[in-house]
Amino acid sequence: MPEIFIDGKSIQAERDQTVMQAALAHNIAIPYFCYHPSLSIAGNCRICAVQVEGRSWVEIACNMPVSEGLRVLTDSEQVRAYRKELMQLVTLNHPVDCGICDKAGECTLQDYHYQYNGSPSVSNEPKVRSTKFHPLSERIVLDNERCILCSRCVRFTKEISKSNALGITQRGDTSLVRAAEDHPLDDDPYSDNVIDICPVGALLSRPFLYKARVWYLKPTPSVCPGCARGCTIQIWHRKSEWKLNALDPRKNVSIERITPLENPAVNGPWICNKGRDLAQIFERPRAEQAMQKGKSVDLPAAIAAAGRLIGDAKRPVALVSSWGSNEELAAFKQALGGRFAAFVKEDWVPQPGERLDDDLLIRADKNPNTAAARALFPALADAAFTLDDATDLVLIWGEGFDFSRLPARARTIVLDAYAQPEHQGADVFIPVSIQTERRGHYTNFQGVVSAFEPCFPKKPTVADAETLFAAMVATGVPA
Amino acid sequence: MAKNTKLLMTFPVTPTSHTLADYRERGGYVTLDKALREMTPQEVRAEITASGIQGRGGAAFSMGRKWGVVNLNDGQPHYLCANADEGEPGTFKDRWILEEAPHLLLESMLIASYALQVRHAFIYIRGEFDLPYRRLAGALAEAYAAGYFGEEILGTGFACDLVIYRGAGSYVCGEASALITSIEGKRGYPRNRPPRLTVRGLYQKPTVINNVETLSNIVGIIAHGAEAFKQVGTTKNPGTRLISISGHINRPGVYEIEVGYPWAKFIYEDCGGIPGGRGLKAIIPGGISTKVLTGEEVAPLNLDNQELEAAGSSLGSGGMIVIAEGTCMVRLLQVMLRFYHHESCGQCTPCREGMGWLHRIIDRIVAGEGRPEDVDRLYQVSKLNDGNTICGMGDAAGYATVGILNKFRNEFEYFIEHKRSLCDGNLECHA
Repeated sequence: MPEIFIDGKSIQAERDQTVMQAALAHNIAIPYFCYHPSLSIAGNCRICAVQVEGRSWVEIACNMPVSEGLRVLTDSEQVRAYRKELMQLVTLNHPVDCGICDKAGECTLQDYHYQYNGSPSVSNEPKVRSTKFHPLSERIVLDNERCILCSRCVRFTKEISKSNALGITQRGDTSLVRAAEDHPLDDDPYSDNVIDICPVGALLSRPFLYKARVWYLKPTPSVCPGCARGCTIQIWHRKSEWKLNALDPRKNVSIERITPLENPAVNGPWICNKGRDLAQIFERPRAEQAMQKGKSVDLPAAIAAAGRLIGDAKRPVALVSSWGSNEELAAFKQALGGRFAAFVKEDWVPQPGERLDDDLLIRADKNPNTAAARALFPALADAAFTLDDATDLVLIWGEGFDFSRLPARARTIVLDAYAQPEHQGADVFIPVSIQTERRGHYTNFQGVVSAFEPCFPKKPTVADAETLFAAMVATGVPA
Repeated sequence: MAKNTKLLMTFPVTPTSHTLADYRERGGYVTLDKALREMTPQEVRAEITASGIQGRGGAAFSMGRKWGVVNLNDGQPHYLCANADEGEPGTFKDRWILEEAPHLLLESMLIASYALQVRHAFIYIRGEFDLPYRRLAGALAEAYAAGYFGEEILGTGFACDLVIYRGAGSYVCGEASALITSIEGKRGYPRNRPPRLTVRGLYQKPTVINNVETLSNIVGIIAHGAEAFKQVGTTKNPGTRLISISGHINRPGVYEIEVGYPWAKFIYEDCGGIPGGRGLKAIIPGGISTKVLTGEEVAPLNLDNQELEAAGSSLGSGGMIVIAEGTCMVRLLQVMLRFYHHESCGQCTPCREGMGWLHRIIDRIVAGEGRPEDVDRLYQVSKLNDGNTICGMGDAAGYATVGILNKFRNEFEYFIEHKRSLCDGNLECHA
């Protein structure tokens, strides 16, 4: 444990650390563009320059090994002067078009400009023009003029996603980040992470392009339900104080984008592209009206009817959702666990073309809470399972049930968040809330419990599964 | 100093002097036999260290010290690489060795491989070298056929293979770490130090990279001993230097001079002076990345690194460019900066952006649109590159720029003020 001194402050560093790592571990700010804790050291942006006490020159901190008694200054006059001049170089050919850049507001270059430079460019030369709107993949647009060639994205595809999809062509100030010609970036399920790690607005998400200014958005911490990994994410949606009145009001309750929320225990700083596209799952047509045999009824009436069905049933079977939160599953177990023969249903199966699993994040089980559900209920074994003819009531909670497998004389109670034609035939249909409308926890395949928070208000005609089962018991099921 | 001992150019160049047969006639591969049979690797290394030979590629780093970092008993493979990517403008001295004495390089590399326990050695040769490549490849084929490479060389247990790798035309790939990155098949970006390449180099293993001329001296040092080598040249910088001289000079070409040879004598006697008997305005002594020296500064000096360093420059890679009176230094700097801009690899910010900036400023000055603050801006960008880049290229471009600005600032100010050159934009010099 070498002791080093940063700005005179004593720090216990790890043996193999660099000055940058030691500083970050102790919350000492050293600016950086190209450095990333999860990637190899490139040392190309040079903004992390620090000065070793007694030396007349500056050196980069990201590649400086710590040694016993090392004394570095992160804010000496020389370091400040160097950073200011380096920022002049970084922005020399950068268009500084923050006004029309999606990254504005969360851009490292923008922040550092105000922090370390703050002066207009001293250059009289025209800027180097380069490609705008270069389609790097179907999902990612590249603005080469904004690119500062930190090579984070290139290193990400080499070291993390291992698709080797990106490289740098040409040289000097005409260098270009380009995708390999056989389009491996399109096939890289982690490609969108390069948008997050881009320190400037060069790599842009096509779905999010010009959609919103980030300062109008609010990130709500959540858990990705896309697979059993349960990556910690942020769901970005419009701040309520910036509510839109003129445009489509649905914009106020829609997911603008999804980014990872760094969580070393689960996903590190990454998520896969499926997690970015959760809006495609959450924003499908919702079921918002309770029904009996396809006829609209009040939510309390439907709950009471479901309670009566449960009370009358002799051989009831429940298919429990592997998308239910820990709280909802426990509520079901407590209220109805004794009444039903309950099995865990696989709500989602892998879609055609979807990556099944890999070594980084993606898991073959495409449901978020199978681990918690299986801890309470046995699994619905496999596709060959048929409900036997003695079954007289089936409670189907969540999606993914093949209604052709229903026994002929069984009555049905269906709880689902999304509209399906089969719901018309259910004896009782109750719409339930989705993850973005409630609070709860998922347990991932490793047993790590992660919390999600509500982003949007729930419609009053929609039930919360957490309280629904107890309400059924209260209205009809004999104790 | 009247004597001028030759260590490399010791034979008359004939149409066959580069072949194995001729090389053997001159005593070729005898030294290899001596090293393999009579010396241990440690003894070879001790001899090289004792000779005090400095690198000839530009940095003048002690070869013995570089080799000393490699631990023979670390259980790892070691690599040796000859840097034949002679890209420094003005420098073409290694080309002479590659074309006329390829076996000297190969034999030296075998001895070096023995001393460093290298099983696989490499020669990285610049892509534009055509005849040198063909000569070298032919020599390697001859050497393989004669049993100097491969397993059980000369009947001893020593085994070594050599691969010639052709570059693809990048100046930066002459920088040692970019060179090995290029051999690895990656984009030729230089690497950050630490670690040094002798600790973690090619394929992450200890790697020694020496200039062709440096390596080629090994045969002589082992054949005649370090003491004999130290008799030549100066105490601090023993041996000879190959100087490739070009520019405004009557007899351009490659010359071997003993270190410490009088500069004026070299220019005016050996190389025939300046066309038309014009005056000497300046000399870039060792490739364009070394600082320019004016004619007056050059006159009393001897060709010795110590003396040149004291004068604020360096013998560099031995690529001497002579500049006659009447040459426009603004346009000269423009040519140089265009080169640096074109060759910047674009990896690190100061060089990537700085080279283009310098080039655009000088282009603007030459176009007659210079501004009074431009000279200071050239200084500022050069200074920002000094010591702040991954490899030495940023520094080198800065030295070149600052070197010319320091000594010929008046020409730049004249150009900016009058929108035309003080020297009529001359780069040519005719007799």
